[in-house]
Amino acid sequence: MRIVVVGNGVAGMEAAQAARRQLPTAAISVVSEESDHFFSRTALMYVLSGQLSHAATEPLERDAYARLGLVRVRARAIGLDPARRLLLLAGADPLPYDRLILAPGSRARPAPWPGSDLPGVGSFVTLQDLAWLEEEIAPPKTTDRPPNEWAHLTSGASDSPYRRRRSAAQARGRRAERPVVIGGGLIGVEVVEAMLALGRRPTFLIRDDWFWPIALDAQEAGWVADELRAHGVDARTGTEVSALEGGPGGVERVVTNKGTIEADLVVVAIGVVPNTAWLGGVVPTDRGGGLLVDASLRTAVDDVWACGDAASVPMPDGSHRTEPLWYTARAQGRLAGRNASSPGAPAPYARGTWYNSAKLMDIEYTTAGQLDGDMWRFEEAGAVRSSTRIAHREGRVVGFNFLGRRWDHSVCARWIEEGRPVRYVVDHLRQAAFDTEFVLPLVVPNDRRP
Amino acid sequence: MHLQAQAGLMTTYREPWRNRGVTGVLISVALIAFYCVLYWTEWLSPVAEALGLRNKWFLYGGLYSIGMIGGAAYMLRRHGTSRYHQVRLAVNVSIQVILGFALPYVMPWFEQPEYYFSYFWPLKYDALYPHTLQALPGYMAVWAVFGALVLAPAASLLFGKRWYCSWVCGCGALANTFGDPWRHLTPTSTASWRFEKVAIHASLVIAVVTTLMVVLGQTVGGTAVAGIADEMKQGYGFVFGSILAGVVGTGLYPILGPRVWCRNFCPMAALLGLTQKAGRFRIRVKPDMCISCGNCTTYCEMGIDVRAYAQNNESFTRASCVGCGMCAHVCPRGVLKLEAGQPLSVDLG
Ligand SMILES: Cc1cc2nc3c(=O)[nH]c(=O)nc-3n(C[C@H](O)[C@H](O)[C@H](O)COP(=O)(O)OP(=O)(O)OC[C@H]3O[C@@H](n4cnc5c(N)ncnc54)[C@H](O)[C@@H]3O)c2cc1C
Ligand code: SF4
Repeated sequence: MRIVVVGNGVAGMEAAQAARRQLPTAAISVVSEESDHFFSRTALMYVLSGQLSHAATEPLERDAYARLGLVRVRARAIGLDPARRLLLLAGADPLPYDRLILAPGSRARPAPWPGSDLPGVGSFVTLQDLAWLEEEIAPPKTTDRPPNEWAHLTSGASDSPYRRRRSAAQARGRRAERPVVIGGGLIGVEVVEAMLALGRRPTFLIRDDWFWPIALDAQEAGWVADELRAHGVDARTGTEVSALEGGPGGVERVVTNKGTIEADLVVVAIGVVPNTAWLGGVVPTDRGGGLLVDASLRTAVDDVWACGDAASVPMPDGSHRTEPLWYTARAQGRLAGRNASSPGAPAPYARGTWYNSAKLMDIEYTTAGQLDGDMWRFEEAGAVRSSTRIAHREGRVVGFNFLGRRWDHSVCARWIEEGRPVRYVVDHLRQAAFDTEFVLPLVVPNDRRP
Repeated sequence: MHLQAQAGLMTTYREPWRNRGVTGVLISVALIAFYCVLYWTEWLSPVAEALGLRNKWFLYGGLYSIGMIGGAAYMLRRHGTSRYHQVRLAVNVSIQVILGFALPYVMPWFEQPEYYFSYFWPLKYDALYPHTLQALPGYMAVWAVFGALVLAPAASLLFGKRWYCSWVCGCGALANTFGDPWRHLTPTSTASWRFEKVAIHASLVIAVVTTLMVVLGQTVGGTAVAGIADEMKQGYGFVFGSILAGVVGTGLYPILGPRVWCRNFCPMAALLGLTQKAGRFRIRVKPDMCISCGNCTTYCEMGIDVRAYAQNNESFTRASCVGCGMCAHVCPRGVLKLEAGQPLSVDLG
């Protein structure tokens, strides 16, 4: 049995490990264009700022391939021949497979504006993006040398998300001083935070009326905006970019509906799209390019599975959706690896209650469930500042949004699944508290309870 | 207030003096030289006298206190948003300045011996020698025996070894203040864990055997036993007390992180670690929330690969964990929580 996995991100590596557990002797290959070793994409901002070393972002020790008996193929996959069961590689022989697991992740959504290919304009999704952005804005580190894997493959195509670009800073002979970050989402705010740590005061352009509207309401986002401004970020909401301008040396201006902004570096963080164009439509996709899979994560092509950011999975409501999240990529990878290598009945992908957490500047954020219906809201501004929002329908809780404190999302999810009354939940909120020790607990006065 | 915010860390790897750069190495050389002068010369005695201090050990105690207080200010400037760190450091530094410096200094004025209430056997390796106990007033001798054999292990069962290693002990206090800038340098590899397990348990065995020999020598044993015991005592004091705890333990802060001694050689840490494994303390992991970023592992001063547990949804207790609270503090997804809430178990595995 030959199993081939495309991608050594979290989904691909989980799939390879799950397959190894099922089949101790099968030949398992892992193809990766981006880097030799599995690294944590979620940690990119910390390497940029200097909080982490490159090596620290690797969740497995470097002997993982040898220990698990995985063959590493550092190459760019450029297509699939399902009839002959071959994965086509750039600059190398095609790789035959009996079972293929696709985990190619996502790439940055391309910037749609004129001038987006100017030097000094880029995104922040891949290791090569990190290399580029460090060169643009960060002083070199003394001891933490980037691993060789940064070097992009010369066989890589010019439109590869893993290509290495020259920085405008190098041509200019000076690092960027006036960075602009476009896109009011999680990656945007992470880049802003890292830039602050590097001593810059970025301009942060947000198209919507407030920051991260799919996750926060106006009041919650207002707090985040205050936090950004308190740190010296020029955060501008309701600002739509129409063009990037500059010369051969690089970007100089960002043109928006609210005027033109001087810039010597532009990071575009307007979301991600499935990294599946290289498959040329051989595997059916949804409209956004996500690889359509059934509940067992199987694609419509024989013996091909998909998982992680690139997979469009069936949701409880019958629709298909991609979910660019670490924990879903991990769960899907594990399942795809198991199903692709196990002779028994396939296990179904069970998408439980939605949850997530993040850190918005210094504000802790946790969410669970759906935030529609009636709202109960409580804010405190004493020793701890926090905001708690609980959505309920017909008296039963359906969702939570928390800022400023830590909460155990699994308890919240259980309350939602049990259909607990909102009053019960508020009375028992302490069971979900996850604050570090000595942080005073949240106290909701009696007259504020629902 | 953001009592759990993490922003203080962000440029760690862009500061050469904290990353084995030339300045880092020079600081290490200077610290090692200082300890050599302190232990094996009398050069510091005139300095102590000129300052009106009783002897060079109080000069050392004074410098130690200054190092702790300065380091605590630095540490709290970076991580002061953590309520746990605020409380813990305030307690630990106060205990050291009072019980580790001021009280022993003034006790002779009241015709009492210089006694350090915050150090216990086996860290203070001579604390239970019969001759040591006999020379003390009764209440001190009782405290020395009770503290080492009852209080320390019992508190470790209930709260974890952190009650001592991160709240009371002077070595811990210096590591978490003066040594804090270098905490990310502690090796985290499996190989370093293997070395730790062998080294620290060997240290415990050596400490216990040496103590037993000395007890025998000073009580029932003949002159032969007493002679061997004396040599063991001297050897132990030289290797563990001076070289490993001082020269290596503190001198290598800027190279191998601030807990070289505590992690690999301290017999007290070994003993408390074993009781911690059986006790109520653990680090609780929130299920399926870890993004494997590596902050917890990087900033663990004991070199524990916290991420390995967190990404597998395993709440855990490691013998070496001193409960400094940094992993929970730096985790950007709030995955970890220190707690002393497990039922007591007998699983020493
Ligand atoms: C800056 C940033 C911050 C994030 N923060 C969070 C967060 O806080 N929480 C969260 O849940 N999620 C976060 N995410 C999303 C999360 O990182 C992804 O959901 C996750 O990495 C997806 O894993 P994956 O294995 O599906 O794909 P990827 O990690 O993208 O891995 C895909 C791999 O496939 C390989 N590959 C792709 N195409 C080819 C090809 N043609 N040939 C050969 N190899 C190929 C590449 O080598 C690549 O390594 C963040 C993402 C970014 C960019
Ligand atoms: S537990 Fe937290 S700090 Fe550690 S790897 Fe997971 S997300 Fe990062």
